[in-house]
Amino acid sequence: MNALFDNLRQLVQSAAESGVLPGSLAYGFVVNALLAGLIIGPVLGGLGTLVVVKRFAFFSEAVGHAALTGVAIGILLGEPYTGPYGSLFSYCLIFGILLNFLSNRTRLTPDTLIGVFLSVSLALGASLLLVLSGRINIHILENVLFGSVLTVNSNDLSVLTCVALLALALALPNYNRLMLASFNPQLAAVRGVPVKAMDYLFVILVTLVTVASVKVIGAILVGALLVIPAAAARMLAQSLKGFFAMSVLFAMISTLAGIMLPIELELPVPSGAAIILVAGILFAISALARSLVPGLKGNAA
Amino acid sequence: MSGPVAAHSAGALGPTLTFDRIGLTLGRTDILSDVGFTVAAGSVHALVGPNGGGKSSLVKTLLGQMPHRGKLSVVWPGERPGIIGYIPQALEFDRGLPMTVNDFMAAMCQRKPAFLGLSRARAAEITHALERVGMQDKRNRRMGALSGGERQRVLLAQGLVPSPALVVLDEPMSALDEAGVRVFEELLDGWRAQRVTVLWIEHDLEAVGRLADRVTGLNRQVLCDGPPAQVLTPDRLLALFSTRPRVASLTEERAA
Repeated sequence: MNALFDNLRQLVQSAAESGVLPGSLAYGFVVNALLAGLIIGPVLGGLGTLVVVKRFAFFSEAVGHAALTGVAIGILLGEPYTGPYGSLFSYCLIFGILLNFLSNRTRLTPDTLIGVFLSVSLALGASLLLVLSGRINIHILENVLFGSVLTVNSNDLSVLTCVALLALALALPNYNRLMLASFNPQLAAVRGVPVKAMDYLFVILVTLVTVASVKVIGAILVGALLVIPAAAARMLAQSLKGFFAMSVLFAMISTLAGIMLPIELELPVPSGAAIILVAGILFAISALARSLVPGLKGNAA
Repeated sequence: MSGPVAAHSAGALGPTLTFDRIGLTLGRTDILSDVGFTVAAGSVHALVGPNGGGKSSLVKTLLGQMPHRGKLSVVWPGERPGIIGYIPQALEFDRGLPMTVNDFMAAMCQRKPAFLGLSRARAAEITHALERVGMQDKRNRRMGALSGGERQRVLLAQGLVPSPALVVLDEPMSALDEAGVRVFEELLDGWRAQRVTVLWIEHDLEAVGRLADRVTGLNRQVLCDGPPAQVLTPDRLLALFSTRPRVASLTEERAA
């Protein structure tokens, strides 16, 4: 798959050199960053609709933060600090699955349990990173926390593509069932939906997509892109079709603008922060539109 | 309408349900003890009783959601189990969700993601179900913008797709207005004509008396069971809805 991305990149670069595309695309890392944005935008936006429907926003934030600890463990185990995917995926999957398992077993509400997991995981991550601080350049932390498009390579793009395809293959055939399980578990069970399995599936989906996006958006903010575009779309849409389409669109605009604007304007802003700021602006516009346009306001929330 | 049980079973589309000494304990509370009664195939069977009397728990047990004691058998007329239509009391969802009635029906009845629209295989059935409950003109309205009665009608509609052989209703009339009650009565007539088995939890005793073939009074145990005319008498109802049911006297009466 790496070869595919290499060819694609060369194609875009030569188009940029000949003036067909903007000049900044002549740089390989800019093309890589854009490709990454094009892959994660729709996946985060689409999955975000389910995050909003199922009220999983806090969970997706927590998994993003768990990624920080995953990176620390990866560096400790000797994985390359530019992409410690083994530890990242394993730690975050354990985090998500254990959380879901315990919320089935204990009678704690999910938000309480997430609060516990989030803080313990962050404490572990912070401790590990400080232990490691002698061994690595501490500026790497900045990349982990807030994302760095400059370091996205073909390897990262392959991981992103695989995760995106896997997420699509799992989420689309189960989209209705995932929703139904949260509307009324009993009705879902009568209709043959394996409710518990759907809970686990959703936790795994959110974890995979979140972790794959950490490189571009960063551990602190990655959860936000699962929430903000879908939240903005929820305010404007009148049907599920519009909700899904707008959420995907908003996530695409956010990732692409967030990656390109700092490069074009030569601003020293980390990509993750820029992406979330664009998403935040879209959210603000949606909120404003909702309160100003009578057609949107009329449909009571 | 409330003919003998044997006549009902012949040629029915729905199953016979037998609850045999069903017991259910949650923590240290006995929710149900020694519950036994039979729902005849193709009959409309009402379940009445006070709140906390275990009606919903019994339905959960029937739908396989509760570990329980005793034996519960569902005997279908055919080789394979038929389709169960379940109409819950309420749905947990965000009222502001941009989900239309169509979207909701699609999410309930098909695998194709609801945001891509109705699947071809189900579209006609869904339209027909919405027509039967009188919601076809409001199918593009948001679920959250519907009144309680309208939402209840949509819940009834989802129970019609795919066409069920056993219908389990959890207080379907509580949110319905008068027109909605008429819609519900028509559905009930339709199920009766098709010989579908209906188990129906209801608070409205007048409706039960008018529409059910048989009634079971449940308050942690079966306090009465029979045709509405026999069960819905002032004495029995007083016992059923009392906080401390006069179990002893009733048990004796049943034994006699």
